[in-house]
Amino acid sequence: MKLNDAKRFGHESIRTYNDKEVIFAEGEDSREMYIVQEGELFVSKRSGNNDVILATLKKGDFVGDMALLESQPRSATARAHGATTLLVLKPSGFLLKIRRDPTFAFEMLQHLSRRLRTTNERMLEAVQKSTSGDARERLKAIFESSEFGTVSDDLA
Amino acid sequence: MITDVRSERLIVISDLHLGNPFSHARERVIGFLRWAALNKFDIVINGDVFEIAQVSFGKIAKDVPEVLRALKLAIRSGCNIYYVIGNHDIVLENLLEDWGAFKMAPFLNVRSGSARIRIEHGHLYDPFFIKYPKLYEFCTWIAGFVLHLSPKYYKLWIAFERLKSRLRRRRERGIVGEHPHFYDAAHELLRRGFDSVVFGHTHHVGEVAIGQKGKYFNPGTWMFGTHYVEIISGIVKLKKWE
Repeated sequence: MKLNDAKRFGHESIRTYNDKEVIFAEGEDSREMYIVQEGELFVSKRSGNNDVILATLKKGDFVGDMALLESQPRSATARAHGATTLLVLKPSGFLLKIRRDPTFAFEMLQHLSRRLRTTNERMLEAVQKSTSGDARERLKAIFESSEFGTVSDDLA
Repeated sequence: MITDVRSERLIVISDLHLGNPFSHARERVIGFLRWAALNKFDIVINGDVFEIAQVSFGKIAKDVPEVLRALKLAIRSGCNIYYVIGNHDIVLENLLEDWGAFKMAPFLNVRSGSARIRIEHGHLYDPFFIKYPKLYEFCTWIAGFVLHLSPKYYKLWIAFERLKSRLRRRRERGIVGEHPHFYDAAHELLRRGFDSVVFGHTHHVGEVAIGQKGKYFNPGTWMFGTHYVEIISGIVKLKKWE
């Protein structure tokens, strides 16, 4: 990994990674978010003994926003695919970034909104598909406690 | 509201200010839109199509229907028309959206070939507009009366901005006549993985290289110019329509 902090943009830095190098690992406590400047990276999650690839990120895509915003451990692993250059934002630099580039906040909100919609749709699907009464009740309770909706008994 | 689009043939024009007593955009833009439709380009209108601050109702009644007709013809021939909202369009946003002909956007992230291009009006980086919005509106309104006396004053203002920019030796940092904030904003966007940035708003035409690969373009205004940005398979060029 190579680090290059530009003087004029002290709130952010540029890092380069080699192929297969880990950017962050699942469960880790780092708080930075990353924007892909060049190259690609894979986001994966451990499932039993396997790594399941959740997404391939390309130039302009970003990752790590959840850890930056919520100070929670990483929910997945990010790994470089080929030589990759990333713009790295720390929590303090993030506010400066959106002050200088407000459209970045708009893009992040769009991204989070899309993610939330997908999660809701998947959860509703799971409620509808679940066969056991107990599992159905549990999923229904999770869905309703998420503040985004209620499930009528007809649907459940 | 869309922000991400893919297009291999795209042209960008900006700042028509239809209805402004000084705007000569109608005569030129109708022919240009016909040409764009014939050559199968998607079209981005990068903000400030209509004048709201210095409006002449006689002129708006004459200019707007003809340009809208040309845009409708372009849509019928298969062009996608994207309308990026500028500071003069904010109050018209709902009206334009309901009209249903344009794809409205606050900005566009265009993928073309292997390139990523940001197209944005750019008023968010105008320090005068952001810091003093009421004074900005008042000054624009007052300037409207001056333009009614003689449209030549606008050219004088543009010349003054360019002179001021040269005297301050800002040429190294941005397009001549522009506040350096626009260059800085383009730089900030390029660091986010864009290859080129296109703004409007300032009415100053130009292109500058930023860093090793990045480029910043501004096609200026169609009030008295005919510059446009052409994007073909990721290659971005500033051109003048003759």
